[in-house]
Amino acid sequence: MRRIGIWIAVGGLLLGTTACGGGGGGEPAGQAAGSQTLSVGFVAEPANLDFTSTEGAAIPQALLVNVYEGLVKLGQDGSIQPLLAERWEVSPDRKTYTFSLRKGVTFSNGAPFTADDVIFSFDRVKSDWKLKIKSQLDSVDRVEKDDESTVVVTLKQPSNGFLYTLTTRLGAMFSRTGVDDLANKPVGTGPYTLASWKRGDSIQLNGNDAYWGAKPKVTAVTLKYFKDATAMNNALLTGGIDVISSVQAPESLRQFADPGRFETVEGTTNGEVVLSMNNDRAPFNDKKVRQAVRHAIDHKALLDTAWAGRGGLIGSMVPPTDPWYEDRTGDYPYDVAKAKELLGGKTYDVKMRIPNLPYAVASAQVVKSQLAQVGINAEIEPLEFPARWLDLVFTKADYHLSIINHVEPHDMSIFADKSYYFRYDNPEFGKLLTSADQGSEQQRIDDLKKAARMLSDDAAADWLFLFPNLIVAKKGVTGLPKNGIAEAFDFTALAKQ
Amino acid sequence: MRLRVNAGLVAGAVLVGLVVLAALVSFVWTPHDPTLVDAAGKLRDPGDGYLLGADKFGRDTLSQLMVGARTTLYVGIVAVGIAALLGTPLGVIAGMTPYGWLSELVMRVNDLVFAFPALLLAVMLGAVYGAGTLTAMIAIGVATVPAFARVARAATLQVMVTDYILAARAAGRRGTAIAFRHVLPNIGSMLIVQASVSFAIAILAEAALSFLGFGTRPPTPSWGRMLQESQELLFSTPRLALWPGLAIALAVLGFNLLGDGLRDHLDPKLRRIRAER
Repeated sequence: MRRIGIWIAVGGLLLGTTACGGGGGGEPAGQAAGSQTLSVGFVAEPANLDFTSTEGAAIPQALLVNVYEGLVKLGQDGSIQPLLAERWEVSPDRKTYTFSLRKGVTFSNGAPFTADDVIFSFDRVKSDWKLKIKSQLDSVDRVEKDDESTVVVTLKQPSNGFLYTLTTRLGAMFSRTGVDDLANKPVGTGPYTLASWKRGDSIQLNGNDAYWGAKPKVTAVTLKYFKDATAMNNALLTGGIDVISSVQAPESLRQFADPGRFETVEGTTNGEVVLSMNNDRAPFNDKKVRQAVRHAIDHKALLDTAWAGRGGLIGSMVPPTDPWYEDRTGDYPYDVAKAKELLGGKTYDVKMRIPNLPYAVASAQVVKSQLAQVGINAEIEPLEFPARWLDLVFTKADYHLSIINHVEPHDMSIFADKSYYFRYDNPEFGKLLTSADQGSEQQRIDDLKKAARMLSDDAAADWLFLFPNLIVAKKGVTGLPKNGIAEAFDFTALAKQ
Repeated sequence: MRLRVNAGLVAGAVLVGLVVLAALVSFVWTPHDPTLVDAAGKLRDPGDGYLLGADKFGRDTLSQLMVGARTTLYVGIVAVGIAALLGTPLGVIAGMTPYGWLSELVMRVNDLVFAFPALLLAVMLGAVYGAGTLTAMIAIGVATVPAFARVARAATLQVMVTDYILAARAAGRRGTAIAFRHVLPNIGSMLIVQASVSFAIAILAEAALSFLGFGTRPPTPSWGRMLQESQELLFSTPRLALWPGLAIALAVLGFNLLGDGLRDHLDPKLRRIRAER
């Protein structure tokens, strides 16, 4: 889990060029019975359609669950549910998983889905995938078939995270005859197939007539991409789209306050907006200074002003949807006097290098103002995202403070890597994560709780807020996901009344 | 000759004067700290010590406008300064040697830079060297160089055929001496007019860059960024967009009127026409 995932929400950055983004192009509402169409607005367009070789949250967001399916999928409550595997059994030593595959499933190219495709897909992660996160499947020792519809996966050591990993793009099932042109022609078993892709504009998914399961109510989905939040808002106001998948300007929600026309869904995500502190560079190599920063920030006020009070407060790297979540917001209450005391009367000049994304720019101004009250003068330096920010801050760790939304699920483990840009170096923390992955389910939860507490106590970073899942839709659109905790934006449950 | 009052000139001078006054006063006094975040005062309505209300961070709009005027003038002065210092000598050289290769070179390079949009240059510089007020000023300044060079060249060409230049040449004056003693003083009025108009363009460019996130860094107040931050509140709190928008419009109008008025006032031909009326 070393990869960083980031909301590539470049809202407000390229306003000049996208002022005409809204309006036309939307599907007309109200089709004949039995064939519903829906148009959903997104902020980040995929670079291509191959998530096996290209980073970026936008590809699995569009394709996973909808076009590609895995053996299992993630439920809205965070539970793991059967998909292409009807059921599975885990051996007592927790190293062998036996999956019973669903029968009568075909890929969109007509090929049947068999045990050989499962083996092919697992092997392909090792041989062909180019993403850093593929190391999450390093625990897999071998994959064998018992018969055409039974697959046995053997792990090198027990891993509590294994099934969860299979719900992500790493668990997607590919056809042995359908991987020639993944960047343009995805072939999966899912309820939708790719109909067309207008680069820079939209992706069209149509219902898969040969789908094995219940066919989704919405038979044609248009994913429309907007570079800026205002253009997307206007598109919903004027009827160009039916759903805003992620609101990037929360203050603008007032436009959609009319309950007769719009519906707002608010839930949680895995996105921790982190105020990162370079643990390896003065003054933040001093734990007391880091603790002072945590005391100096009034998180409630920050959330209210920077993100319209939407989202939640967290005190460590765990979102409330994870089983090992504990409320750690009380660890460092807002206390200017305490912060000053920890700083011992010293003042510091530091650089706050942030990505030029809306949430970061807004938060940084509040952080700067609050840190100034305890004697830390933070100079804000917005860097072009992703290229320049990734280079300076993420790769070279040339920064004192930064702000970024870490969206990957179960991403506390990034703190275990001391070369990660936090430069947090605590071997005890790494030991806790290892024992958590290999121990029993209960031990996992206990260890991860301890690990989260350790991060908070050490003030390895400060957690500004939990990014909200904010969806706005036209009245009558149902089945919207309340929580944005999966990699995919699941269209299968959507319907229009 | 009676000095007639030029209404445009006066209006321009007043508007520019207001901007300069706001900027100067902001050095010693603003109603509130323009960068202090105050969650309790979020979107405060106008009144009660906050004449124009507060933004979503609880920052006083009037204070921000005043310090923003400073940013605006700062960018204008430096950008126009760069353009004048580089463009004028180039234009004068090109004008004094109209058929030389140097003149050709200068003017063709000029055409090249002229074809390049200032905003694009600024965005590029921002991407390479980091966005900030300084890169914005330099980019706007460099992109304005051709405008100055052209005006300077055209004016110099006119001056070069006058009798006093011929006399100076006949007396064996060197080129640099002619340029400084005769050419520059005589094209000065046109350059001042050009500076005023360029100033207006620079203000617009800075506002646009800050709006796009390539200009002044937060939290330093800037009219363009105030506009950008007000965007998501356009429907609920339109005054947040109204004030910086008005400030930009009036400042640009002011400098344009000032430029027009100065041209009317300083141009000898126009002055003669007025005097004859």
